[in-house]
Amino acid sequence: MSLESIQLDKVSKRFRLGASHEYGRLTEAIVSGVKNLVRKAPNPRPKLSLDSFANRMEDDWFWALRDIQLSIQSGDIVGIVGRNGAGKSTLLKILARIVTPTLGRVGVRGRVGSLLEVGTGFHPELTGRENVFLNGAILGMPRSEIRKRFDEIVAFAEIESFLETPVKRYSSGMAVRLAFAVAAHLEPDVLIIDEVLSVGDQAFQRKCLGKASQLGAQGRTVLVVSHNLAAVANLCHRAVLLQDGRLIADDVPERIIDQYLSEMRSGDGQRSWDDDASAPSSREIRLRSISVRGNGIDSPASEVDIDQEIFVVVDYRVLIAGTPVSVQIQVRDETGAFVFWSANAPSMNLEPDPWFGKQYPVGMYRSECGMPANFLNDTRYFVSVLIGPEVGVVALRQDSALSFVVHDTGAMRQEYTGSWLGPVVRPRLNWRTSKL
Amino acid sequence: MAQDDDSIPHPNPASIPPMQFYGPTDAFGFGQLGEIWRTRELLYSFFLRDLLIRYRQVVVGLLWVFLQPLMGMLIFMGLFFVLGTKAGNSTVAYPPIILTGMLCWQLVASSFRDATASLVNYRHVVTKIYFPRMLLPLASLTCAVFDFVVGSLLLFPVCAITETSIVWSTAWLALPIALWLILFCAGCIAWLSALNAHYRDVGYALPFALQLGMFVSPVVYDVERLRTILTDPWIWLYEANPIATCIGLLRWSLLGTQPPSALGMAVAAIITLSVCFSGLAWFQHADQQLADRI
Repeated sequence: MSLESIQLDKVSKRFRLGASHEYGRLTEAIVSGVKNLVRKAPNPRPKLSLDSFANRMEDDWFWALRDIQLSIQSGDIVGIVGRNGAGKSTLLKILARIVTPTLGRVGVRGRVGSLLEVGTGFHPELTGRENVFLNGAILGMPRSEIRKRFDEIVAFAEIESFLETPVKRYSSGMAVRLAFAVAAHLEPDVLIIDEVLSVGDQAFQRKCLGKASQLGAQGRTVLVVSHNLAAVANLCHRAVLLQDGRLIADDVPERIIDQYLSEMRSGDGQRSWDDDASAPSSREIRLRSISVRGNGIDSPASEVDIDQEIFVVVDYRVLIAGTPVSVQIQVRDETGAFVFWSANAPSMNLEPDPWFGKQYPVGMYRSECGMPANFLNDTRYFVSVLIGPEVGVVALRQDSALSFVVHDTGAMRQEYTGSWLGPVVRPRLNWRTSKL
Repeated sequence: MAQDDDSIPHPNPASIPPMQFYGPTDAFGFGQLGEIWRTRELLYSFFLRDLLIRYRQVVVGLLWVFLQPLMGMLIFMGLFFVLGTKAGNSTVAYPPIILTGMLCWQLVASSFRDATASLVNYRHVVTKIYFPRMLLPLASLTCAVFDFVVGSLLLFPVCAITETSIVWSTAWLALPIALWLILFCAGCIAWLSALNAHYRDVGYALPFALQLGMFVSPVVYDVERLRTILTDPWIWLYEANPIATCIGLLRWSLLGTQPPSALGMAVAAIITLSVCFSGLAWFQHADQQLADRI
């Protein structure tokens, strides 16, 4: 007998971008309401229909999920795979009932628990005992059940002697242990694990995944979002692939992972938008192309040698005169780990850029970011490009716009041939020994 | 679709929970009431949390429940004594009059203040875990009700000292009257808390509104005194304020002062009901976008 545990029926979710600016204040909402009344104009909100949105980004609206059709049987362990920004977290939040879908219907059988929010609702002034009851109640455990499992929880967290101490006096390790102990003793019918959002260390994440397979073996439904593809392959019976808010594949994990990786690897070191309509753009700026080039090579390359300087080249058009521009890049590795973020600003620049802080006239521009040779390791990296009026402000973004591979030429490992420790960067640093 | 055909059955097939669909069940938000009832244990946990936090790290502890209305009473008694003004015009002594007013007003003011901030203060919980969001403002209200009930015990010593006799024949009516006031507060905080989650202006405007509210309700004076200034149509308008009506009724039932007019009470009752029903519907509507907007 297989029983449907989760059902998503044509679920879509859109968010308003910059909502805090527009209707964030009551006075503004009233003013705009009165304006509409006076003008007798219809409400300017876009009509709620998916068909009218060819683009994912429409004015101030952004479709985080579109038309998701998914049904999961109880006892299934399902992995959700996709790039950053593909809509994985939104999907989980809808399942956890935190976010209401804009369109469509969601049904879930039984209690939903999430290991993504360990310690939510902990209050520093309350004692360990009081927090166990409060946190358990927030997670959906009846008081009788908490009372029954109280000793177990405390023993698991190893905090017996601190039960009557306010949590504000706990070490952070103790607080996390207690929080995890409560979450681990919750027995939800549907368990949601979002590794991206969880703050724990490696050991903690292993514990989470261990808990997941244990619950799955008990016939409960488990949903996993993880950048650890090996974990998804080992743990899950089934996986789905999300791309730009759509569910594009639903298969056994191995095939989904293959498809995901081939999607990620596509590209020849350049991504360009010839068509104005499809190019990522804000009111002031339109992206033209993004490319990666090795030192001394004029054409884009998706593979770069480790001993070469690497350039990320961003071409864009300024549409409105007087726009200040700050180009920013984010580099991640294949597991989604954040390697670094950099912006064109004097504090992050080796030499000052004469265009920094200037008001750009209308026209085409190229911003380049040069990364030193012998800095990144020999693996694949993903570049996201963000452009805004100033550092830290984002008007338009293109997540994981392209990827490139750094190749080990052997020049850097003449002495050592084992696998390299520390996978993300491999800088050449300044070493000296002197006799004292 | 990859599906394990030999999937293990649910751990306890006898208790398979039904498929539950998310979203509003009715336009008026009555579904929320059932949900609140089902999650009343969590309401109790939130109430306990608020209560424990409030009286942690204070020296006199629960004594504050008595001190707050007592101080309010003494301040205004002193003020009117210095000014030489008479704030009460009934045969009943002034201290129990102002104490009943203070207790009611503190119920209104502290529930409004705490409940309005409740959703925003617990933003980090609201955006990460689902539970009926109405529980947060309701927990603030239950805390205020707790203070109100415990603080009411002060009436006995104050009446004894001022040699005022409690009218026992109508005193039991104080209970439904207090429930009326609590119901009105519940309707208002449903509006205020969800509004504040969307528009923070509400939180900034509230202290001024409360200051004004204290003086347009018979908190530190009694309605008899007001009748010496205001004439009939204005008195009705004044009594249309459910807080004014409830305080007036409470004093009538306990101390035997003049009750509010029937017309004023009827209007106040209609206002109370409309605030409650609209508050329920508005909260459900606002709840749909709460996590996106808060």
